[in-house]
Amino acid sequence: MVMPEVREAGLASYLASKGVSRRTFLKFCGGVAAAIGLSSTMGPKVAEALEIGSATGKLIPVVWIEAGSCSGCTESLAQAVEPDVATLVLDYLSLNYSETLSAAAGHSLEKAKEETIEAGGYILIYEGAVMTGWDGNALMVADEKGTDALIHAASNALAVISAGSCAVDGGWCAAHPNPAGAMGVQKFLKQNGIATPVINLPSCPVNPEHIVEVVMNFVLTGQLPKLNSNNEPELSFGQLIHENCPRRGHFENGEFVYEFGSDEERKGYCLYAMGCKGPQTYSNCPVVRWNGKASWCVEAGAPCIGCASCNPRSSRNNWVNNNAPFLQRFHDMHVGSTNFQPTTLAIAVTGIAGVAIAAHGFGMKFAGRTKGGAPIETESDWSKKQPKAAEAPEVVEDVQEGGDE
Amino acid sequence: MAHLAHYKEAHPLPFVITHWINAICMFCLIISGLFIHYPAIPSIMGLCRGLHMVCAFVILINLFARVIMAFFIKSAQYGGTREGLDRDIKNYLPSKGNKHQFLPWIKYYLFLKKDHPKGTKYGSPQKLSYAGIPFLLLFMGFTGFALWGPTCDWGIFVWFTNLVGGIMNVRIIHFFMMWVFIIFTGLHMYLALIEGPAQVAIMFKHKEHGGMIMDPETKEIIGEDLDPSDPDAKRYFN
Repeated sequence: MVMPEVREAGLASYLASKGVSRRTFLKFCGGVAAAIGLSSTMGPKVAEALEIGSATGKLIPVVWIEAGSCSGCTESLAQAVEPDVATLVLDYLSLNYSETLSAAAGHSLEKAKEETIEAGGYILIYEGAVMTGWDGNALMVADEKGTDALIHAASNALAVISAGSCAVDGGWCAAHPNPAGAMGVQKFLKQNGIATPVINLPSCPVNPEHIVEVVMNFVLTGQLPKLNSNNEPELSFGQLIHENCPRRGHFENGEFVYEFGSDEERKGYCLYAMGCKGPQTYSNCPVVRWNGKASWCVEAGAPCIGCASCNPRSSRNNWVNNNAPFLQRFHDMHVGSTNFQPTTLAIAVTGIAGVAIAAHGFGMKFAGRTKGGAPIETESDWSKKQPKAAEAPEVVEDVQEGGDE
Repeated sequence: MAHLAHYKEAHPLPFVITHWINAICMFCLIISGLFIHYPAIPSIMGLCRGLHMVCAFVILINLFARVIMAFFIKSAQYGGTREGLDRDIKNYLPSKGNKHQFLPWIKYYLFLKKDHPKGTKYGSPQKLSYAGIPFLLLFMGFTGFALWGPTCDWGIFVWFTNLVGGIMNVRIIHFFMMWVFIIFTGLHMYLALIEGPAQVAIMFKHKEHGGMIMDPETKEIIGEDLDPSDPDAKRYFN
């Protein structure tokens, strides 16, 4: 949000005006340093970079575009009731355009966006799925197709941050049957031949700590963080939730919740049997946690639904399609509009095979093959059909004549 | 007596042992795998996880040992004889003795053909399925290691996981593969049993059984060996 009168007062006084002490700010900077792979003693350096940047206006501007989204990621960042340090820093320093958060609206805001894009050197944060349905008419903003706006803004950006699962791989918008043709930013840009690097920050909504981490990495080192094969920051999405889960001890001990409202749930046992997707979801949720490090899903008693699953190549395999129904250990499979569990299919096919074998057994009895079995043929069906030397002397003669010539 | 005699030459002892290891591991893998998928008995979860990995390694090492041995150990290529031994691997490759016998075998199983097809020790569909099992096991192991914590971040497993669209889909493939093995095992047991209980005796107990004798040269039935365990009995090839 652009607030010039606050900007002039400097970062320190802005934070102070929001009730953030210098100590809290430095603690946050230490956390940022650790999150981007530096020693947390680098915290003061991070603070310095932020303060110098804010004073000289040299920080990288951020353009935040919303597409097929519920604005949940913006909400996550804005934390309406009590903004945390991450939100304030990001908001104050560099957020030049945001449809939801900007005080301005209409033509003047679109003009500010256009100027930032023309100037280049910004990071584009994209929230929500790319809506490609009906030739891009599924989403129109300011008389422009959402797809065109993305191509325009992404072409000139230093990097695109796909904020939240919808931007990563279509998320909810791309859930079966996906009539609006929703897809992730990375796949869309690749299809349109735009080489701007994409950083995927899955989870629903995006965790603001992850955004600050990437932006600060850029500010301090001028480089993107180290990415994995899904273009996610390796430090944040390199370990399974299961690996850092506070309930892991119960998993190892074989103590599981089988029913909500049960004694096991009250004891805080492992939610594996309730369909927890922690063992297959890469994210540092248990470490960074949510809502200003207050808590996170599993700690709050809900099984992980795998919202940080990341499949930027295929929106068909995004976290919603891959993980729903959330309380089952497997996702549903679809044939037409019929949904069923893989277990049902497997048992049905195996049952049919079993019935076929049993029926064959009765057939064997009926055919009289059970007592000593059927007699072994003296000659195979194929060799019976072959002309025998004695029965077909002409053929043999022909061959011999040919050989003589 | 329509059955051929069953001699140890058809299934040398090393292959009886690898078959036992396969059977035990497969049973343990299926049971422990089901409990890992859903911890119906919570207290045995840790046991199942350990057992699953131990059996996975044992069955894969056993697979490599079995395939390597197939190139060196000789076994009978035809049933009902102690003669005509050749490298075991040839049992799983097309052979002259089975020429054009694939369809007759299918017809026989579908009751469209009255007589039992003749040919090598293993019929054509049998050769095909046994030759496929090592590849299925390797693929099963591959999907398993793509799911196992210590190996799932290796490049090739990450590549495969991304290819099929995530860990969930790898799990479902691994799960479906288990049912393929269950169906194979059921079919295998049934088809072995309808050829007679002597098959089971030689494979599990390594106990020989009398029956008709076949000349591996002419592929003709040339006699009967009623009691192969009796050293004084008149034997055709001795």
